[in-house]
Amino acid sequence: MLLVLTDEHKEHLGFLPEVDSAVVGEFGRIAVEFLKKGSNPKIYEGAARKLNVAVETVQHGVEGLMYLLTESSKLMISEVDFQDSVLVLGFSDELNKLLLQLYLDNRKEIRHILSELAPSLPHYHNLEWRLDVQLASRALRQQVKPVVTLKLHLETDGTQSARVLQTDPATLLHIIQELEHALAEVKTNHCRRILRNIK
Amino acid sequence: MELSEFVQKGLQYLADPEYFDVKTFSHLVEVSFRTLLASQTDDAILDDPEFKQVDKTLLKHCHVAATTCILEIAKQNADKSTVCTCLEDIKFDAERIDVFYSSFQKNKSELESLLSSIGKCPPHICDASWRLDYQIKNSHVHKVNQPTYLITLNVENDGARSADEVHFSCTMEQLQDLVGKMKDAAKSLDKATQM
Repeated sequence: MLLVLTDEHKEHLGFLPEVDSAVVGEFGRIAVEFLKKGSNPKIYEGAARKLNVAVETVQHGVEGLMYLLTESSKLMISEVDFQDSVLVLGFSDELNKLLLQLYLDNRKEIRHILSELAPSLPHYHNLEWRLDVQLASRALRQQVKPVVTLKLHLETDGTQSARVLQTDPATLLHIIQELEHALAEVKTNHCRRILRNIK
Repeated sequence: MELSEFVQKGLQYLADPEYFDVKTFSHLVEVSFRTLLASQTDDAILDDPEFKQVDKTLLKHCHVAATTCILEIAKQNADKSTVCTCLEDIKFDAERIDVFYSSFQKNKSELESLLSSIGKCPPHICDASWRLDYQIKNSHVHKVNQPTYLITLNVENDGARSADEVHFSCTMEQLQDLVGKMKDAAKSLDKATQM
């Protein structure tokens, strides 16, 4: 699958061949940094002053790289497809290689960042448990009632929350059994066939 | 076992053949257990045809006394001799003690589970259901291709008997982790019961 670059995008990246490859490397580093931590316009100003170009030119260059990296990471395009996609930009071999390396080095991390943007339910983070035997209460003395207290830690959009729940031994065993069925299901022929065919 | 004066007085009426013959007495004991366990309204006994001979105020008094006494015995897990001594002190004859105690034995476990459910405790998990999905792609990332589980824990809130659900998603590894930890808990529980 090839990446389709718009004319505007091509124009923004067109600035790259005009500067030293070390500078492109630095732009690449900044682009990845911005993807991880958010952009910082002050850096554009500093770089523009050093290179003696307009701030916008630098900004477009870096943002062009960010877009190139996110789109190719999103589609998970292969090495060959990446090379073919950037060919239309008419850059030198050296610059193309540099971009490819930048893509390959950061693809995994960028995909991880992108996956956090995907709509998601609260997801499992951790489970802590405690075992108690209830001995007496205001309403009933002389009890022997085993209780399993579970603290379920969930994570939603980076924030953690915990819920304290209780259960009895028989229900705990039932739940374990039910969830083991769930784990076994993914190994059935039906699931394996789907997993194998949708790649 | 300590009973208030009001309760003792009510029980004394119950012991007295002048107010209650054995048949009416047996019926009142039975109804008392039923009102405790079946959350039947207390007023229903006033319309009970079996009690049409009995004065309504007295009937209410005796009903309260009987239910209080039953709850107290269940709460303290009193043994047979304690119960008998207590009832003998209130002048119950052997037949009435027998009727009362055998009714109590019959309903004891149900009463205990009712009493043990009273009080604050965290929501109780009563079941779990699951769904297995294969995540293919989303608007931000393509080729995700990962099995994902959606787990729902059904929980009951104490007292209110209202059902609630806890939903969360997890990957296969996370579910393995969850099940592993639950198994640890179950194993410890098993060991503890063998001690």
